[in-house]
Amino acid sequence: MGNRRLRNNLRVMRFLAHEMTQAELGERIGVTRQTIAAIEAGKYSPSLEAAFRIAEIFKKPLEEIFVWEEVKSGANRRHSA
Amino acid sequence: MPIKEQFARVWLVTMVLTYAAYFAAVVYVGETTAWNQIVMFAVTTIVQVIVIGTASAIMAVRHKRGPAADERDQIIDQRATRVAYLLLICGMILVGCLMPFNNNGWTIFHAAVLSIAVAEIVRHGLMVAMYRRGWDG
Repeated sequence: MGNRRLRNNLRVMRFLAHEMTQAELGERIGVTRQTIAAIEAGKYSPSLEAAFRIAEIFKKPLEEIFVWEEVKSGANRRHSA
Repeated sequence: MPIKEQFARVWLVTMVLTYAAYFAAVVYVGETTAWNQIVMFAVTTIVQVIVIGTASAIMAVRHKRGPAADERDQIIDQRATRVAYLLLICGMILVGCLMPFNNNGWTIFHAAVLSIAVAEIVRHGLMVAMYRRGWDG
């Protein structure tokens, strides 16, 4: 099984949702602004429940926001979930 | 900065400074009366309680709004605590099972305090590192 990591389109989704702030998104799913920042930066993989809540807020399927992708050689491999 | 990270930093700095002062005093004073040993330990503990208590009160007032601890805070706490627990167990096995055969009471006591200090410092140091470096993913 190859190396994989969880990438997300949270920044794009927030932009499309009228520049929703990290604090606002965090408040709606019950986490802190810093946790949203960590998710966006790929430093933290959210729980399944938080991921579904995020998808629900943006009214998108989960796989459109979170992508389970192959890590290319030379890319950052730190965040395999 | 999340309130939990601020709290971990306060704990870390307080533990490092107070226990460094305590063990420096223990080494400097050397063998002394039981009363002096108790006073040194009591002063260390009182300073820790005052500093951490005051910092907690200030942070609680500043962070009235927002969730106290979310899922990331809990994961970071769990991972850091797991490592600290293993260290503490190793220290306590040394203190409780090996040292009584060769050492006197106060040496054993200081070794026990050292185990607790190391476990606490590692726990809060790991928490700060995980918040900064993102080892919690």
